[in-house]
Amino acid sequence: MSLPVWQELYESIGPDRFELISVAQDSGDPKAVGRWFDRASPTFRCVIDPTHQISSLFGWVNVPSAAWIDEEGTVVRSNEGTYPGESTVRFGLGKVRFGDDSFARATRDWIERGADSEHVWSSTQLAERLKPVDNDTRLAEATFKLALHFEAVGDSERALKHFAAAQVLAPDNWIYHRQGWTHRGALYAGLKVLMRSNYLQKNTDKSFYDPTGLPGEDYRRFTQPEWLWNPAVRRFKQLLRRQ
Amino acid sequence: MIILANGNTTEIAQRTDDTEHLWVRVGDLPRATGWQMKPQGMCLGEMCVPLPDNKVEEWIADAEDWVWMCYSEFADMIGQRYARDGDVWSLGSVPAVRRSGLEIGIAPDFEVTERNGDTLRLSDFRGRKVVLFTWASW
Repeated sequence: MSLPVWQELYESIGPDRFELISVAQDSGDPKAVGRWFDRASPTFRCVIDPTHQISSLFGWVNVPSAAWIDEEGTVVRSNEGTYPGESTVRFGLGKVRFGDDSFARATRDWIERGADSEHVWSSTQLAERLKPVDNDTRLAEATFKLALHFEAVGDSERALKHFAAAQVLAPDNWIYHRQGWTHRGALYAGLKVLMRSNYLQKNTDKSFYDPTGLPGEDYRRFTQPEWLWNPAVRRFKQLLRRQ
Repeated sequence: MIILANGNTTEIAQRTDDTEHLWVRVGDLPRATGWQMKPQGMCLGEMCVPLPDNKVEEWIADAEDWVWMCYSEFADMIGQRYARDGDVWSLGSVPAVRRSGLEIGIAPDFEVTERNGDTLRLSDFRGRKVVLFTWASW
């Protein structure tokens, strides 16, 4: 999980130099979400946003995402897939690694050098990179919020119906997929993400996260899962080759 | 009737003689939709949209001892999409808000509650650099 890495980064850059605001895009039980915050003992600002309002406002379609906002209130960079370092997620009998420290390094550079940082975008660059919003996208957003409402009031049937509708209307919005899959269980959602992201990587030119274009960017996409039995399979293959 | 808009859930009265459209009592508009009716039209913050002259009579009605506005017709006019299931209406974002904000580089303002109970408004940090990031447990 990336919160402890953010905490480290926040302390090492200097809390007096910037505000760090973390927003949980989570419609689940706030107590359960809160435990993730508590474990990291963050000193930065922590918000739980069960209706995904912040992602809607900034036009993000996946998590994590991040924006740099300068002293005048101007967005000078906005990216998805902004892990502050490499993370490992374990699930069942496997694990996946993703993320790298390129966004953290760039963030430090911007805090220190401001507008002189080479990673700052002009408003034109930002506009070019914003995801286009059309009629269907807007309807998908309203439909997704409807699903979140029914999830919150315990009407699972209607929640799933509207999650599915939002996913059809905005097929490239990973938040709608992932939050909807999570309604069926965390393990189900995790496996779906793996299968979908690997499928995309192999068969299309789409990616799970848009590349940030930052120097040193590496594990931008989900890597292949490493299953518990992988070492044994490798050993078996080696033995076969020797025969 | 429940309206979902701008991250808020608002329960408001429903006009019983027409449930096909989203009718909102004029007094309920601000808390339910964010819009407010003023002499110059419908206003959202600084932005005001005049109501078309030929629609005023159709969209504003005196019924059941209240003055109502047909919000769904107005939403259609400004390109705001909505989804509905029974008595729950969910309003999407207003296209003009994005055009006059994020698309020209202005950080969209928001007000949320921090875990410690404090109110956090993005614009309160003017004068400081802000790094805003999202994450999720899923």
